[in-house]
Amino acid sequence: MPNTLADYQPVVGSSAISQLHQLAAHLQGATVVHVNSTREGGGVAEILQWLVPMMNELGLKASWEVIEGNQEYFSTTKAFHNGLQGKNVHLTKSMLSAYEGTVAANADRLRPILEAADFVFIHDPQPAALLELCPNRRGKWIWRCHIDVSSPNRRVWKYLEEKVAKYDASIFSMSDFAQSMSHPQFLISPSIDPLSPKNCHLNKSKIDQVLRRYKIPNNGPIITQVSRFDRFKDPVGVIEAFKMIKENIAAELVLAGGGATDDPEGAAVLEEVKDAANGDEHIHILFLPPDAHTTINALQRASTIVAQKSLQEGFGLTVTEALWKGKPVIGGNVGGIRKQVHNYHTGFLVDTPEGMALRVRYLLRRPQQMKTMGKTARQFVRENFLLTRHLREYLTLILSLKQGLSDHLMAD
Amino acid sequence: MANGFNQNGQTFRVKDCTLIVRMGGVEPALNLREFRERIRVCPVECLYHHFNETLIRPSFDYPGFRNDFAIWSYQSLRDPVLAEKLGIINPHSFRDLEELRSKIVEIIDERLDEVHYIPWVEKGNEFRFLRAATIVFDTGVELHTPIELVKKLPVFSTSSLYYHFVEARRRTEDKTDDFSAWMNRLERVPNVLVRLLHDIDFYFLNLGELKRTLVDATINLNEEDLYDA
Repeated sequence: MPNTLADYQPVVGSSAISQLHQLAAHLQGATVVHVNSTREGGGVAEILQWLVPMMNELGLKASWEVIEGNQEYFSTTKAFHNGLQGKNVHLTKSMLSAYEGTVAANADRLRPILEAADFVFIHDPQPAALLELCPNRRGKWIWRCHIDVSSPNRRVWKYLEEKVAKYDASIFSMSDFAQSMSHPQFLISPSIDPLSPKNCHLNKSKIDQVLRRYKIPNNGPIITQVSRFDRFKDPVGVIEAFKMIKENIAAELVLAGGGATDDPEGAAVLEEVKDAANGDEHIHILFLPPDAHTTINALQRASTIVAQKSLQEGFGLTVTEALWKGKPVIGGNVGGIRKQVHNYHTGFLVDTPEGMALRVRYLLRRPQQMKTMGKTARQFVRENFLLTRHLREYLTLILSLKQGLSDHLMAD
Repeated sequence: MANGFNQNGQTFRVKDCTLIVRMGGVEPALNLREFRERIRVCPVECLYHHFNETLIRPSFDYPGFRNDFAIWSYQSLRDPVLAEKLGIINPHSFRDLEELRSKIVEIIDERLDEVHYIPWVEKGNEFRFLRAATIVFDTGVELHTPIELVKKLPVFSTSSLYYHFVEARRRTEDKTDDFSAWMNRLERVPNVLVRLLHDIDFYFLNLGELKRTLVDATINLNEEDLYDA
């Protein structure tokens, strides 16, 4: 049974919940459709799993549609994803044809609901071409871009820009991710659900049970990185750092992740990671199913320090999750990690495996400082990155679009 | 009734607000000279956002500086001198945002005269100009007397306090807070409370600190304490 807004009151306070009801009072019955490319796995699906029911609880009529596609479609959108983050990819005519064909087939299926909606949120590039296939749309269409498109492969961006420029507005997770476009570009950071199985409180016996299941010793520091097996997450760099840490301090490294249905590269990267670990018994590589939320929660809570040494990153919700659990984070100096990891306050930003090794060793010798950082980190997330703030900003954006985009509006 | 009270001034309706941030429509600045040029031409809403709305926008609260220009100068340009000069600016001390703009440009011009090279940042650390849309809504709470305000302050949301105490200075004739504007129109003005609110140096407080300051200053006041003897 999904959580209700009242369930969040003890975490975020009553005024945060009242605000949501007061805002939503001006949007009763508004139809909102979200479209993305996967029902499970990855940050976007996790956000929609709570966002849609909560919009409904507040009196909007929200629904969530998923693009259906074959392997070729997902390979193409993965190429979009890589290209938008600056990787050199080659889009063939056949790939574009597979992409456009799949979106057209989905448009045929979804057109009635999309054209009738008051507000349509299209998440990421996978469904972006839907707008031009819905000529009789009556509502506002918003492209919600969860990834960093500030330095894209130009050819990939040129192809997609033609499609997304036609939207009424776009949303980026932070200003550094945005591309200059003629329509308004809003900024909404993503968030985590503090009551979800991935973030809720766990007692010690549950945490110990997970450690035992994966044979992870808990008599010393545990350093954990939770993320998909993706080269942008630099799991091999984390192993390099760990080898440097181990020269001075006995510790365990956990690399835990899974794959999403739209990520065909995961298996190849997992093999590279196993090669780099070279059978080290202190390196625990866990390939987890998409629903292993409690396991991930337990691993993060069992950790002394959490790493997210990405080379490129969207917002980095795994960082938010770790901060919420009061863990200092060693994060790659990229993307949304920079918005969350503040040197000496919530962790450290690093650029190299050497940097990670240096900061981990620094922190492991200063348990009191880690404790203080953990407290700051949890409060920082409470004030900024919980789902109630996220929901409030969606409602504010919808109201703002409904009332004409002035800088100062009275809700009516 | 944006200020919260109606023409006869007897009832104060408590408002709340939320904010959605958007790109400011100005190219990012990579060095101090570009920063100056962008500030010279950016919409005043960008200045307002980077000086005032930092309080209510989701972000890390760097206690050392209250405005984004100072934080960027310190963290990205690595120019503590400029950061200090920009950091001390209180935007509420200016007649309007154009006067604030002139002051910022003047400070940067002075700094450009002093430095031997133009401070710059690496790609990725540019200053990105933002603005925000504020949605104001009625909370349904009404205040009829000043003592009701005192008693209800502890349950005000911080964003409601932002709206009535900080943002109000952009809207009210005397650049004051909405509470004082309302109380000054009452038949019997609670001078003590009005002075107390006036004397709060709020600009360097975050919203949590502002709420604590307001509550701590008023929590023990009884009705007779609100008026000059």
